[in-house]
Amino acid sequence: MTVFVCGEEPEDIWCAVYDAWMSRLGHQNVRIEPIGENREIFSSYREVVTEETKTVRVIRSIREKLSEALYEQVYKAALSQDRWRADKIYRFLIYAFAYGPSVLDQLQIPAVYDLFQMNRHLAREYNHMLGFTRFSRMQDGILLAKIGPKNDITVLLAPHFAERMPEENWIIYDENRRKAAVHRAGQGWVLLHADSAEWQQRMALDTDEVVFEKLWRTFHQSVGIEERCNPRCQMTMLPLRYRPYMTEF
Amino acid sequence: MLLQEAMDIQEKLKILSDAAKYDVACTSSGVARGGQKGCLGSTYASGICHSFASDGRCISLLKILFTNQCIHDCRYCINRRSNDVMRTSFTPEEVCTLTMEFYRRNYIEGLFLSSGIVHSPDYTMELICQTLRQLRGQHHFNGYIHVKAIPGASPELIEQAGFLADRMSVNLELPTAEGLRRLAPGKTREKILAPMRQIQKGIAGQNLRWLEAGGEVPRAAGFLSQQGRHEIGMANTVTHPGRNVWMPQSGRKSRNFVPAGQSTQMIVGATPENDYQMIRVAEALYQNYDLKRVFYSAFIRVNDDSMLPALPGGPPLLREHRLYQADWLLRYYGFRADELLDEKRPNFNVLLDPKCDWALRHLEQFPVEVNRADYATLLRVPGLGVKSARRILAARRKSALDFPDLKKLGVVLKRAVYFITCSGRTMYPIRMNENDITSQLIGEEHRRLWDIENHDSFRQMSLFDDYHVTASVRPEDLVSVVSGSL
Repeated sequence: MTVFVCGEEPEDIWCAVYDAWMSRLGHQNVRIEPIGENREIFSSYREVVTEETKTVRVIRSIREKLSEALYEQVYKAALSQDRWRADKIYRFLIYAFAYGPSVLDQLQIPAVYDLFQMNRHLAREYNHMLGFTRFSRMQDGILLAKIGPKNDITVLLAPHFAERMPEENWIIYDENRRKAAVHRAGQGWVLLHADSAEWQQRMALDTDEVVFEKLWRTFHQSVGIEERCNPRCQMTMLPLRYRPYMTEF
Repeated sequence: MLLQEAMDIQEKLKILSDAAKYDVACTSSGVARGGQKGCLGSTYASGICHSFASDGRCISLLKILFTNQCIHDCRYCINRRSNDVMRTSFTPEEVCTLTMEFYRRNYIEGLFLSSGIVHSPDYTMELICQTLRQLRGQHHFNGYIHVKAIPGASPELIEQAGFLADRMSVNLELPTAEGLRRLAPGKTREKILAPMRQIQKGIAGQNLRWLEAGGEVPRAAGFLSQQGRHEIGMANTVTHPGRNVWMPQSGRKSRNFVPAGQSTQMIVGATPENDYQMIRVAEALYQNYDLKRVFYSAFIRVNDDSMLPALPGGPPLLREHRLYQADWLLRYYGFRADELLDEKRPNFNVLLDPKCDWALRHLEQFPVEVNRADYATLLRVPGLGVKSARRILAARRKSALDFPDLKKLGVVLKRAVYFITCSGRTMYPIRMNENDITSQLIGEEHRRLWDIENHDSFRQMSLFDDYHVTASVRPEDLVSVVSGSL
């Protein structure tokens, strides 16, 4: 078994898929692993070097030989929280190139079902975060939202909010991955790695938002009907893990 | 009555959101509209839930009353004239500030504006329109707005509001005219249905114009029923939708008339109407008024009034739940109201959902072969929904499906297993018998309750507590039991 070891970002995964595929060792003889797994004695290990040319070639083949819809699914899977997503994507692509783009519907195939499951988890979290993201105005007037999602969905959330609030300066900051989407009023948005000391200092600052946060809490409290009180249902619909980031809890 | 004009916004929000919370509609769905340069907001076709209140209901819109003063004295309503509660009113500017600032922080998906009736319906509707004009015009708000059409307001004002809002609703409140007369003396059926009809005609007229112009009716626009078409052919003098004179044009595309359609609400359990009447009314509203949604609100006794029923067990939440389940069956699963219930059994089964209940009464149509059945048939199988039925259609093209595959496709096998076969086989041997399947579906925990309520129809066989023996024990029986002889 030859194991290809790659990083966490989508680009690393595309390059790993490229290396594994083009090694010509046979699909059953290769595997893609994330960095930091225990190593086996009888496997040989190869580090994947991330290069733009490999990335471009993989993406181009998926888009042109398969379909745009399938690329979207695979791209989203690359953002999943699943530690073994790279290998799962590789297994899926084997079927996809054999059967064509309609393979997405064939959930009977385990490799397809794995991809479907990763994407379903991601899609649910994305849908939750569209509503549960909370902005708060910093002293310099920028709206800041801190989030802690399981999947790497910052890059998916940013276009939604860019369309919704084109005339605002805002930042969506993923605390778990230290990534930030930064939007400037009237212009586009960029995705940044925000792990510098300057960023940390900035993110630690308190926001100055007493008035509207208080109003929102008042509303949130008074809109619930006591006779129908149902914390169990509330917890199903709004799991506890989202609450530390939300204003009203 | 205590009226306070100069109250701080915190207090006002508390009172006016508390007064609005009994309205159940809080959806932000039905229209997909992208953002615009210079504006704040966009809408999302399936709606977005922004939070959940302590009662587990979704908070999507800033649900407030413009004012809780009211000239009506509806017995079920907390804001009725004869109640001694603190009365207050927002100003249009306050509503705009709250909406904009909450929206910016992603607390809400838009505004839900309702109101008690001050002075007259027209006066109130004008206040609402003024607020919406300010919000759309001055503040460039492009998010979702749900607004109430006040029964009795003039058609011009309702039309004006329709161009500014995304969804409009008029609450039917009670399913029969008789119930309305008893509990809401200020309202009549005609007054409620008139604006509903006007909005329907407005939407339908707009859709027809699109069709005539060779365009496609957007998916979000209302479904055009036969009757809807028919009535447009009739004298349509009230509305002139399509010409939007109320919005500041400023080079922007003119707005559509009520693009997310209209909805309504009925109170469940305040009057003695049964479930059959409720879903018949809902069905008629969907068919004749092209409504997007009918909401059901379990009656909560906020006023101590002799005309209202006492509810010792709390609001009829289970009944409300069953009505919503039936509502989905009407809208997405191709069921008709008289298939689910009839005059003889006018209420839903407490222990089984309406679809299981229907399937058990129609066992002759089952089991269904998953690998061959068409979409409409699959939809009628308990445990299968719109999504899983679609996935089955897509997945079975390439290879036959088996039970483990169905589980992956999202089928609830716990219920579906009694009603389906895969390649001619059931998952395990099943007796196609109403009693057996019912007791399996209901499960151990509910069986006793079921026995109590339906002691003549289905029961679990038992050796010891055969309580259906009504004849008294004779001396011979005692002897035979003791001696063991027959």
